[in-house]
Amino acid sequence: MINPQDLCTRARDLLASGEVRAVVGYRRGSRGMAAEPVVITKPEEAASLVWDPSCVHNLALYLVADRKRLAHLHQTPGKPIAIVAKGCDARALVVLMQENYFKREEVYILGVSCESTGVWDDQKLMQRLGCDSQSLTGGRFDGDDFVVTTATGEQRISAPECMADRCLECRHPFPTMNNVVLGEEKARTLAAPFAALSRFEEATGTQPARWAFWQRQFERCIRCFACRSVCPMCYCEECIVDSITFTVALDTTAAEKANRVRWIQRSATRSENIGYHMTRALHLAGRCIDCGECERVCPVHIPLRLLNNKLEKESREKFGYEPGVSIEIASLVSSFRDDDPNDFIR
Amino acid sequence: MMHEQQQTQTQYEPKIVAFLCKWCSSAGSDLAGVSRIQYPAHATPITVMCSGSVSPQYILSAFNKGADGVLVSGCHIGDCHYMEGNYLARRKLYLINEMLQFIGVEPTRFRMSWVSAAEGAKFANIVKDFVEDLRPLGPQDKLKAQHP
Repeated sequence: MINPQDLCTRARDLLASGEVRAVVGYRRGSRGMAAEPVVITKPEEAASLVWDPSCVHNLALYLVADRKRLAHLHQTPGKPIAIVAKGCDARALVVLMQENYFKREEVYILGVSCESTGVWDDQKLMQRLGCDSQSLTGGRFDGDDFVVTTATGEQRISAPECMADRCLECRHPFPTMNNVVLGEEKARTLAAPFAALSRFEEATGTQPARWAFWQRQFERCIRCFACRSVCPMCYCEECIVDSITFTVALDTTAAEKANRVRWIQRSATRSENIGYHMTRALHLAGRCIDCGECERVCPVHIPLRLLNNKLEKESREKFGYEPGVSIEIASLVSSFRDDDPNDFIR
Repeated sequence: MMHEQQQTQTQYEPKIVAFLCKWCSSAGSDLAGVSRIQYPAHATPITVMCSGSVSPQYILSAFNKGADGVLVSGCHIGDCHYMEGNYLARRKLYLINEMLQFIGVEPTRFRMSWVSAAEGAKFANIVKDFVEDLRPLGPQDKLKAQHP
Protein backbone atom coordinates (compact mmCIF):
# COMPACT_ATOMS: atom_id res chain seq x y z
CA MET A 1 0.00 0.00 0.00
CA ILE A 2 1.16 3.50 -0.80
CA ASN A 3 1.13 6.11 1.90
CA PRO A 4 0.22 9.38 0.09
CA GLN A 5 2.46 11.16 2.58
CA ASP A 6 5.51 9.43 1.01
CA LEU A 7 4.61 11.00 -2.33
CA CYS A 8 4.50 14.48 -0.78
CA THR A 9 7.85 13.93 0.94
CA ARG A 10 9.51 12.72 -2.27
CA ALA A 11 8.13 15.67 -4.23
CA ARG A 12 9.20 18.15 -1.56
CA ASP A 13 12.74 16.75 -1.44
CA LEU A 14 13.06 16.78 -5.24
CA LEU A 15 12.01 20.44 -5.42
CA ALA A 16 14.03 21.49 -2.36
CA SER A 17 17.23 19.91 -3.72
CA GLY A 18 16.69 21.60 -7.07
CA GLU A 19 16.89 18.28 -8.88
CA VAL A 20 13.71 19.03 -10.82
CA ARG A 21 12.10 22.30 -11.92
CA ALA A 22 8.53 21.19 -11.34
CA VAL A 23 6.41 18.25 -10.21
CA VAL A 24 3.29 17.24 -12.11
CA GLY A 25 0.87 15.44 -9.83
CA TYR A 26 -2.65 15.40 -8.46
CA ARG A 27 -4.32 17.59 -5.86
CA ARG A 28 -7.82 17.75 -4.41
CA GLY A 29 -10.17 19.43 -6.90
CA SER A 30 -13.30 21.47 -6.36
CA ARG A 31 -15.83 18.79 -7.34
CA GLY A 32 -16.38 16.60 -4.30
CA MET A 33 -13.19 14.70 -3.56
CA ALA A 34 -12.19 14.16 -7.20
CA ALA A 35 -8.51 14.84 -7.86
CA GLU A 36 -7.29 17.30 -10.47
CA PRO A 37 -3.91 17.66 -12.15
CA VAL A 38 -1.51 20.21 -10.68
CA VAL A 39 1.98 21.49 -11.47
CA ILE A 40 3.95 22.56 -8.41
CA THR A 41 7.27 24.39 -8.41
CA LYS A 42 7.82 25.21 -4.70
CA PRO A 43 8.70 22.65 -2.00
CA GLU A 44 6.01 23.99 0.37
CA GLU A 45 3.30 23.22 -2.22
CA ALA A 46 4.19 19.52 -2.11
CA ALA A 47 1.84 18.95 0.84
CA SER A 48 -1.14 19.46 -1.48
CA LEU A 49 -0.33 16.36 -3.56
CA VAL A 50 -2.70 13.43 -3.25
CA TRP A 51 -2.82 9.83 -4.41
CA ASP A 52 -6.21 8.10 -4.32
CA PRO A 53 -8.54 6.15 -6.67
CA SER A 54 -9.81 9.39 -8.26
CA CYS A 55 -6.39 10.12 -9.85
CA VAL A 56 -7.66 9.07 -13.27
CA HIS A 57 -5.84 11.56 -15.51
CA ASN A 58 -2.88 10.70 -17.71
CA LEU A 59 -0.35 13.35 -16.72
CA ALA A 60 2.03 12.63 -19.62
CA LEU A 61 -0.13 15.18 -21.46
CA TYR A 62 1.34 18.01 -19.38
CA LEU A 63 4.91 17.10 -20.31
CA VAL A 64 3.89 17.35 -23.95
CA ALA A 65 2.29 20.73 -23.24
CA ASP A 66 5.49 21.90 -21.53
CA ARG A 67 7.60 20.79 -24.48
CA LYS A 68 5.34 22.69 -26.88
CA ARG A 69 5.46 25.81 -24.72
CA LEU A 70 9.26 25.73 -24.59
CA ALA A 71 9.48 25.24 -28.34
CA HIS A 72 7.35 28.33 -28.92
CA LEU A 73 9.54 30.34 -26.55
CA HIS A 74 12.73 28.95 -28.17
CA GLN A 75 13.96 27.78 -24.78
CA THR A 76 15.88 24.65 -23.85
CA PRO A 77 14.34 22.35 -21.24
CA GLY A 78 17.07 22.63 -18.56
CA LYS A 79 16.33 20.59 -15.46
CA PRO A 80 13.93 17.65 -15.70
CA ILE A 81 10.29 17.69 -14.67
CA ALA A 82 9.07 15.08 -12.20
CA ILE A 83 5.82 13.36 -13.01
CA VAL A 84 3.57 11.13 -10.94
CA ALA A 85 2.99 8.16 -13.22
CA LYS A 86 0.78 5.10 -12.95
CA GLY A 87 1.56 2.02 -15.03
CA CYS A 88 -0.34 3.36 -18.04
CA ASP A 89 1.13 6.87 -17.76
CA ALA A 90 4.63 5.40 -17.65
CA ARG A 91 3.91 3.45 -20.83
CA ALA A 92 2.78 6.68 -22.48
CA LEU A 93 6.12 8.23 -21.50
CA VAL A 94 7.96 5.24 -23.02
CA VAL A 95 6.15 5.76 -26.34
CA LEU A 96 6.90 9.50 -26.32
CA MET A 97 10.59 8.77 -25.68
CA GLN A 98 10.60 6.04 -28.32
CA GLU A 99 9.44 8.76 -30.72
CA ASN A 100 12.15 11.11 -29.43
CA TYR A 101 9.59 13.61 -28.22
CA PHE A 102 11.79 14.05 -25.18
CA LYS A 103 14.82 12.30 -23.75
CA ARG A 104 14.87 9.96 -20.79
CA GLU A 105 16.98 12.29 -18.66
CA GLU A 106 14.51 15.15 -19.16
CA VAL A 107 11.86 13.36 -17.13
CA TYR A 108 11.97 12.21 -13.53
CA ILE A 109 9.39 9.47 -13.15
CA LEU A 110 7.78 9.27 -9.73
CA GLY A 111 6.12 5.92 -10.27
CA VAL A 112 3.06 4.83 -8.36
CA SER A 113 1.96 1.21 -8.55
CA CYS A 114 -1.75 0.50 -8.76
CA GLU A 115 -0.94 -2.78 -6.97
CA SER A 116 -4.03 -5.00 -6.89
CA THR A 117 -6.51 -2.28 -7.88
CA GLY A 118 -6.66 0.74 -10.20
CA VAL A 119 -8.56 3.99 -10.50
CA TRP A 120 -12.33 4.09 -10.36
CA ASP A 121 -14.84 4.88 -13.01
CA ASP A 122 -16.91 7.85 -11.86
CA GLN A 123 -20.15 6.58 -13.38
CA LYS A 124 -19.80 3.06 -12.04
CA LEU A 125 -19.05 4.43 -8.58
CA MET A 126 -21.99 6.83 -8.54
CA GLN A 127 -24.30 4.07 -9.67
CA ARG A 128 -23.00 1.80 -6.92
CA LEU A 129 -23.33 4.46 -4.23
CA GLY A 130 -26.54 5.98 -5.53
CA CYS A 131 -25.34 9.55 -5.05
CA ASP A 132 -23.63 12.24 -7.13
CA SER A 133 -19.91 12.94 -7.13
CA GLN A 134 -20.38 16.21 -5.20
CA SER A 135 -21.45 14.39 -2.06
CA LEU A 136 -18.39 12.16 -2.05
CA THR A 137 -16.07 13.59 0.61
CA GLY A 138 -13.32 11.01 0.79
CA GLY A 139 -11.84 7.97 -0.89
CA ARG A 140 -8.72 5.89 -0.53
CA PHE A 141 -7.12 2.59 -1.48
CA ASP A 142 -7.24 -0.20 1.06
CA GLY A 143 -5.83 -3.48 -0.17
CA ASP A 144 -8.24 -4.89 -2.74
CA ASP A 145 -10.96 -2.42 -1.75
CA PHE A 146 -11.83 1.26 -2.04
CA VAL A 147 -12.96 3.02 1.12
CA VAL A 148 -15.25 5.96 0.36
CA THR A 149 -16.78 8.57 2.65
CA THR A 150 -20.21 10.01 1.92
CA ALA A 151 -22.78 11.89 3.98
CA THR A 152 -23.94 8.57 5.43
CA GLY A 153 -20.47 7.61 6.63
CA GLU A 154 -17.61 5.37 5.53
CA GLN A 155 -18.25 2.54 3.14
CA ARG A 156 -16.03 -0.27 1.89
CA ILE A 157 -16.46 -1.33 -1.75
CA SER A 158 -14.74 -4.20 -3.50
CA ALA A 159 -12.55 -2.41 -6.08
CA PRO A 160 -13.40 -4.48 -9.21
CA GLU A 161 -17.06 -3.46 -8.77
CA CYS A 162 -16.44 0.14 -9.74
CA MET A 163 -12.99 0.17 -11.34
CA ALA A 164 -12.59 1.61 -14.83
CA ASP A 165 -12.75 -1.04 -17.59
CA ARG A 166 -9.24 -0.25 -18.75
CA CYS A 167 -7.91 -0.85 -15.23
CA LEU A 168 -9.69 -4.18 -14.98
CA GLU A 169 -8.12 -5.22 -18.29
CA CYS A 170 -4.69 -3.70 -17.49
CA ARG A 171 -1.69 -5.97 -17.99
CA HIS A 172 0.93 -3.75 -16.38
CA PRO A 173 -0.39 -1.81 -13.39
CA PHE A 174 3.24 -1.16 -12.42
CA PRO A 175 5.41 1.59 -13.97
CA THR A 176 8.38 -0.45 -15.21
CA MET A 177 10.30 2.63 -16.30
CA ASN A 178 10.82 4.82 -13.25
CA ASN A 179 13.33 6.80 -11.23
CA VAL A 180 11.63 5.91 -7.99
CA VAL A 181 8.52 3.86 -7.42
CA LEU A 182 6.03 3.74 -4.56
CA GLY A 183 4.08 0.58 -3.89
CA GLU A 184 4.79 -2.97 -4.94
CA GLU A 185 4.49 -4.88 -8.16
CA LYS A 186 1.65 -7.35 -7.75
CA ALA A 187 0.53 -10.04 -10.16
CA ARG A 188 -3.23 -9.96 -10.71
CA THR A 189 -5.96 -10.93 -13.14
CA LEU A 190 -9.21 -9.03 -12.77
CA ALA A 191 -10.59 -9.30 -16.30
CA ALA A 192 -9.16 -10.84 -19.45
CA PRO A 193 -7.23 -8.35 -21.63
CA PHE A 194 -9.50 -6.84 -24.31
CA ALA A 195 -12.57 -8.12 -22.41
CA ALA A 196 -14.74 -5.17 -23.46
CA LEU A 197 -13.63 -5.58 -27.09
CA SER A 198 -14.38 -9.31 -27.06
CA ARG A 199 -17.81 -8.66 -25.56
CA PHE A 200 -18.52 -6.15 -28.32
CA GLU A 201 -17.25 -8.42 -31.09
CA GLU A 202 -19.39 -11.27 -29.84
CA ALA A 203 -22.50 -9.13 -29.48
CA THR A 204 -22.18 -7.68 -32.97
CA GLY A 205 -20.81 -10.58 -34.95
CA THR A 206 -22.13 -9.69 -38.39
CA GLN A 207 -21.16 -6.83 -40.64
CA PRO A 208 -24.64 -5.17 -40.71
CA ALA A 209 -24.83 -5.30 -36.90
CA ARG A 210 -21.41 -3.67 -36.64
CA TRP A 211 -22.44 -0.92 -38.99
CA ALA A 212 -25.74 -0.35 -37.19
CA PHE A 213 -23.80 0.13 -33.95
CA TRP A 214 -21.04 2.40 -35.27
CA GLN A 215 -23.36 4.45 -37.43
CA ARG A 216 -25.28 5.40 -34.29
CA GLN A 217 -22.06 6.23 -32.44
CA PHE A 218 -20.50 8.32 -35.18
CA GLU A 219 -23.68 10.27 -35.84
CA ARG A 220 -23.61 11.45 -32.24
CA CYS A 221 -20.07 12.87 -32.35
CA ILE A 222 -20.18 16.66 -31.99
CA ARG A 223 -16.52 17.12 -32.95
CA CYS A 224 -15.55 18.87 -29.72
CA PHE A 225 -12.09 17.25 -30.09
CA ALA A 226 -11.93 16.47 -26.37
CA CYS A 227 -10.46 13.05 -27.28
CA ARG A 228 -7.70 14.76 -29.23
CA SER A 229 -7.00 17.35 -26.54
CA VAL A 230 -6.68 14.82 -23.74
CA CYS A 231 -4.48 12.37 -25.65
CA PRO A 232 -0.73 12.59 -24.92
CA MET A 233 -0.03 10.96 -28.30
CA CYS A 234 -2.03 13.53 -30.28
CA TYR A 235 0.78 16.05 -30.20
CA CYS A 236 0.88 17.07 -33.87
CA GLU A 237 1.28 20.81 -34.28
CA GLU A 238 -1.16 20.65 -37.16
CA CYS A 239 -4.02 18.17 -37.10
CA ILE A 240 -5.42 16.75 -40.30
CA VAL A 241 -8.88 18.05 -39.40
CA ASP A 242 -7.97 21.66 -38.83
CA SER A 243 -5.10 23.07 -40.76
CA ILE A 244 -3.37 26.01 -39.12
CA THR A 245 -0.48 26.47 -41.51
CA PHE A 246 -2.54 27.74 -44.42
CA THR A 247 -1.76 31.44 -44.29
CA VAL A 248 -4.31 33.82 -45.68
CA ALA A 249 -2.51 36.93 -46.86
CA LEU A 250 -3.67 39.99 -48.79
CA ASP A 251 -2.84 38.37 -52.11
CA THR A 252 -4.48 35.00 -51.34
CA THR A 253 -7.10 34.51 -53.99
CA ALA A 254 -10.55 33.09 -53.40
CA ALA A 255 -9.61 30.16 -55.62
CA GLU A 256 -6.60 29.36 -53.45
CA LYS A 257 -8.74 29.43 -50.34
CA ALA A 258 -11.37 27.24 -51.94
CA ASN A 259 -8.92 24.75 -53.38
CA ARG A 260 -6.76 24.15 -50.33
CA VAL A 261 -6.50 20.50 -49.43
CA ARG A 262 -9.02 19.41 -46.84
CA TRP A 263 -8.83 15.71 -46.13
CA ILE A 264 -11.70 15.85 -43.69
CA GLN A 265 -14.32 18.57 -43.42
CA ARG A 266 -14.96 20.12 -40.01
CA SER A 267 -18.73 19.66 -40.20
CA ALA A 268 -20.02 17.13 -37.68
CA THR A 269 -21.68 14.82 -40.19
CA ARG A 270 -21.42 11.05 -40.08
CA SER A 271 -19.01 10.64 -42.99
CA GLU A 272 -16.60 13.30 -41.71
CA ASN A 273 -16.80 11.98 -38.15
CA ILE A 274 -15.88 8.52 -39.39
CA GLY A 275 -12.98 10.04 -41.30
CA TYR A 276 -11.77 11.77 -38.16
CA HIS A 277 -12.14 8.82 -35.80
CA MET A 278 -10.68 6.28 -38.23
CA THR A 279 -7.70 8.53 -38.90
CA ARG A 280 -7.16 9.07 -35.20
CA ALA A 281 -7.35 5.33 -34.50
CA LEU A 282 -4.83 4.58 -37.26
CA HIS A 283 -2.47 7.34 -36.13
CA LEU A 284 -2.57 5.75 -32.68
CA ALA A 285 -1.90 2.22 -33.97
CA GLY A 286 1.04 0.84 -32.02
CA ARG A 287 1.18 4.04 -29.93
CA CYS A 288 -2.01 3.96 -27.90
CA ILE A 289 -1.21 2.57 -24.45
CA ASP A 290 -4.86 2.26 -23.45
CA CYS A 291 -5.08 4.92 -20.76
CA GLY A 292 -8.75 5.24 -21.75
CA GLU A 293 -8.76 9.03 -21.39
CA CYS A 294 -10.46 9.62 -24.78
CA GLU A 295 -13.41 7.50 -23.78
CA ARG A 296 -13.61 9.06 -20.32
CA VAL A 297 -13.77 12.65 -21.58
CA CYS A 298 -16.18 12.00 -24.46
CA PRO A 299 -19.30 14.10 -23.70
CA VAL A 300 -21.53 11.88 -25.86
CA HIS A 301 -20.03 8.59 -24.61
CA ILE A 302 -18.69 7.13 -27.85
CA PRO A 303 -16.83 3.92 -26.92
CA LEU A 304 -13.53 5.11 -28.40
CA ARG A 305 -11.49 2.52 -26.54
CA LEU A 306 -12.97 -0.17 -28.80
CA LEU A 307 -11.35 1.39 -31.88
CA ASN A 308 -7.95 1.71 -30.25
CA ASN A 309 -8.17 -1.69 -28.60
CA LYS A 310 -9.02 -3.33 -31.90
CA LEU A 311 -5.78 -2.11 -33.48
CA GLU A 312 -3.81 -2.88 -30.32
CA LYS A 313 -5.13 -6.44 -30.40
CA GLU A 314 -4.41 -6.89 -34.11
CA SER A 315 -0.87 -5.60 -33.77
CA ARG A 316 -0.25 -7.80 -30.75
CA GLU A 317 -1.62 -10.95 -32.39
CA LYS A 318 -0.44 -10.47 -35.96
CA PHE A 319 2.76 -8.46 -35.57
CA GLY A 320 3.80 -9.37 -32.02
CA TYR A 321 3.98 -5.69 -31.17
CA GLU A 322 3.21 -4.23 -27.78
CA PRO A 323 3.29 -0.45 -27.30
CA GLY A 324 5.06 1.21 -24.39
CA VAL A 325 7.46 -1.61 -23.58
CA SER A 326 10.84 -0.32 -24.69
CA ILE A 327 12.38 2.93 -25.90
CA GLU A 328 14.78 1.11 -28.21
CA ILE A 329 12.45 -0.86 -30.50
CA ALA A 330 11.22 0.47 -33.86
CA SER A 331 7.61 1.64 -33.99
CA LEU A 332 4.83 -0.58 -35.35
CA VAL A 333 4.41 0.99 -38.78
CA SER A 334 8.10 1.66 -39.39
CA SER A 335 9.05 -2.00 -39.00
CA PHE A 336 7.96 -5.27 -40.58
CA ARG A 337 8.53 -8.98 -40.47
CA ASP A 338 8.73 -11.47 -43.32
CA ASP A 339 5.82 -13.43 -41.91
CA ASP A 340 3.38 -10.53 -41.60
CA PRO A 341 -0.12 -11.56 -42.74
CA ASN A 342 -0.26 -11.83 -46.52
CA ASP A 343 -3.40 -13.88 -47.13
CA PHE A 344 -5.65 -10.81 -47.53
CA ILE A 345 -3.65 -9.79 -50.60
CA ARG A 346 -4.34 -11.28 -54.02
CA MET B 1 -33.20 -2.96 -78.92
CA MET B 2 -34.74 -0.02 -77.08
CA HIS B 3 -35.52 -2.25 -74.14
CA GLU B 4 -31.99 -3.59 -73.99
CA GLN B 5 -30.50 -0.11 -73.94
CA GLN B 6 -32.69 0.94 -71.04
CA GLN B 7 -31.56 -2.11 -69.10
CA THR B 8 -27.91 -1.33 -69.55
CA GLN B 9 -28.50 2.27 -68.52
CA THR B 10 -30.12 1.32 -65.24
CA GLN B 11 -27.49 -1.29 -64.38
CA TYR B 12 -25.32 -0.12 -61.53
CA GLU B 13 -21.69 0.44 -62.45
CA PRO B 14 -19.29 0.53 -59.50
CA LYS B 15 -16.49 3.09 -59.37
CA ILE B 16 -13.08 1.81 -58.32
CA VAL B 17 -10.09 3.91 -57.32
CA ALA B 18 -6.87 1.98 -57.95
CA PHE B 19 -3.60 3.10 -56.37
CA LEU B 20 -0.90 1.48 -58.50
CA CYS B 21 2.80 1.61 -57.80
CA LYS B 22 4.81 3.16 -60.60
CA TRP B 23 7.30 0.32 -61.00
CA CYS B 24 5.17 -2.82 -61.07
CA SER B 25 1.39 -2.52 -61.01
CA SER B 26 1.19 0.58 -63.14
CA ALA B 27 3.41 -1.09 -65.72
CA GLY B 28 1.28 -4.23 -65.32
CA SER B 29 -1.89 -2.29 -66.13
CA ASP B 30 -0.09 -0.78 -69.10
CA LEU B 31 0.79 -4.25 -70.31
CA ALA B 32 -2.86 -5.29 -70.01
CA GLY B 33 -3.66 -2.33 -72.25
CA VAL B 34 -1.03 -2.86 -74.93
CA SER B 35 -1.79 -6.59 -74.98
CA ARG B 36 -5.41 -5.59 -75.76
CA ILE B 37 -6.81 -7.65 -72.90
CA GLN B 38 -10.46 -6.77 -72.42
CA TYR B 39 -11.35 -5.79 -68.88
CA PRO B 40 -13.94 -3.46 -67.29
CA ALA B 41 -13.21 0.25 -67.46
CA HIS B 42 -14.46 0.91 -63.93
CA ALA B 43 -11.09 1.44 -62.29
CA THR B 44 -9.58 4.91 -62.14
CA PRO B 45 -5.83 4.37 -61.87
CA ILE B 46 -3.77 6.68 -59.70
CA THR B 47 -0.06 6.06 -60.04
CA VAL B 48 1.93 6.43 -56.84
CA MET B 49 5.67 6.03 -56.46
CA CYS B 50 5.35 3.04 -54.15
CA SER B 51 2.56 1.09 -52.47
CA GLY B 52 4.33 2.00 -49.23
CA SER B 53 3.50 5.64 -49.90
CA VAL B 54 -0.24 4.92 -49.82
CA SER B 55 -1.47 6.44 -46.61
CA PRO B 56 -4.64 5.01 -45.06
CA GLN B 57 -5.86 8.59 -45.51
CA TYR B 58 -5.92 8.10 -49.29
CA ILE B 59 -8.22 5.13 -48.88
CA LEU B 60 -10.56 6.88 -46.47
CA SER B 61 -10.56 9.91 -48.72
CA ALA B 62 -11.41 7.85 -51.81
CA PHE B 63 -14.38 6.33 -50.00
CA ASN B 64 -15.34 9.78 -48.76
CA LYS B 65 -15.40 11.10 -52.33
CA GLY B 66 -17.73 8.31 -53.36
CA ALA B 67 -15.57 5.38 -54.49
CA ASP B 68 -17.40 2.05 -54.32
CA GLY B 69 -14.17 0.10 -54.03
CA VAL B 70 -10.51 0.87 -53.46
CA LEU B 71 -7.68 -1.22 -54.86
CA VAL B 72 -4.06 -0.87 -53.79
CA SER B 73 -1.55 -2.74 -55.87
CA GLY B 74 2.22 -2.98 -55.60
CA CYS B 75 5.23 -5.09 -56.43
CA HIS B 76 5.48 -8.65 -55.14
CA ILE B 77 7.12 -9.06 -51.76
CA GLY B 78 10.88 -8.90 -52.25
CA ASP B 79 10.60 -7.02 -55.55
CA CYS B 80 10.05 -3.50 -54.21
CA HIS B 81 12.18 -0.91 -55.97
CA TYR B 82 12.66 0.80 -52.64
CA MET B 83 13.61 -2.51 -51.00
CA GLU B 84 11.00 -2.53 -48.23
CA GLY B 85 8.14 -0.25 -49.30
CA ASN B 86 5.65 -3.03 -49.90
CA TYR B 87 6.46 -4.68 -46.57
CA LEU B 88 5.51 -1.42 -44.85
CA ALA B 89 2.42 -1.10 -47.05
CA ARG B 90 1.32 -4.60 -46.12
CA ARG B 91 1.41 -3.80 -42.42
CA LYS B 92 -0.31 -0.42 -42.69
CA LEU B 93 -3.00 -1.58 -45.07
CA TYR B 94 -3.67 -4.71 -43.06
CA LEU B 95 -4.63 -2.39 -40.20
CA ILE B 96 -6.93 -0.17 -42.27
CA ASN B 97 -8.54 -3.26 -43.78
CA GLU B 98 -9.26 -4.63 -40.30
CA MET B 99 -10.51 -1.25 -39.17
CA LEU B 100 -12.94 -0.86 -42.09
CA GLN B 101 -14.39 -4.28 -41.37
CA PHE B 102 -14.55 -3.50 -37.66
CA ILE B 103 -16.89 -0.55 -38.18
CA GLY B 104 -19.03 -2.59 -40.55
CA VAL B 105 -17.87 -1.67 -44.06
CA GLU B 106 -18.29 -4.65 -46.39
CA PRO B 107 -15.00 -6.60 -46.60
CA THR B 108 -15.19 -6.65 -50.41
CA ARG B 109 -14.84 -2.88 -50.73
CA PHE B 110 -11.12 -2.76 -50.05
CA ARG B 111 -8.72 -4.96 -51.92
CA MET B 112 -4.97 -5.28 -52.18
CA SER B 113 -2.89 -7.14 -54.72
CA TRP B 114 0.66 -7.73 -55.85
CA VAL B 115 0.97 -7.31 -59.62
CA SER B 116 4.34 -7.30 -61.35
CA ALA B 117 5.11 -5.47 -64.60
CA ALA B 118 4.79 -8.79 -66.48
CA GLU B 119 1.36 -9.68 -65.07
CA GLY B 120 -0.98 -7.78 -67.36
CA ALA B 121 -3.44 -10.69 -67.45
CA LYS B 122 -3.45 -10.90 -63.65
CA PHE B 123 -4.24 -7.20 -63.36
CA ALA B 124 -7.13 -7.52 -65.82
CA ASN B 125 -8.50 -10.46 -63.81
CA ILE B 126 -8.22 -8.60 -60.53
CA VAL B 127 -10.23 -5.65 -61.85
CA LYS B 128 -12.76 -7.99 -63.47
CA ASP B 129 -13.28 -9.92 -60.20
CA PHE B 130 -13.44 -6.72 -58.17
CA VAL B 131 -16.18 -5.24 -60.36
CA GLU B 132 -18.16 -8.47 -60.21
CA ASP B 133 -17.86 -8.61 -56.43
CA LEU B 134 -18.85 -4.97 -56.02
CA ARG B 135 -21.89 -5.05 -58.25
CA PRO B 136 -24.21 -6.95 -55.86
CA LEU B 137 -23.29 -4.60 -53.00
CA GLY B 138 -24.68 -1.51 -54.70
CA PRO B 139 -23.40 2.04 -54.18
CA GLN B 140 -21.18 2.72 -51.20
CA ASP B 141 -22.92 5.26 -48.97
CA LYS B 142 -21.41 4.48 -45.59
CA LEU B 143 -18.29 6.59 -45.86
CA LYS B 144 -19.41 8.84 -48.70
CA ALA B 145 -19.64 12.52 -47.81
CA GLN B 146 -23.21 13.59 -47.15
CA HIS B 147 -22.62 17.31 -47.62
CA PRO B 148 -22.95 18.81 -51.12
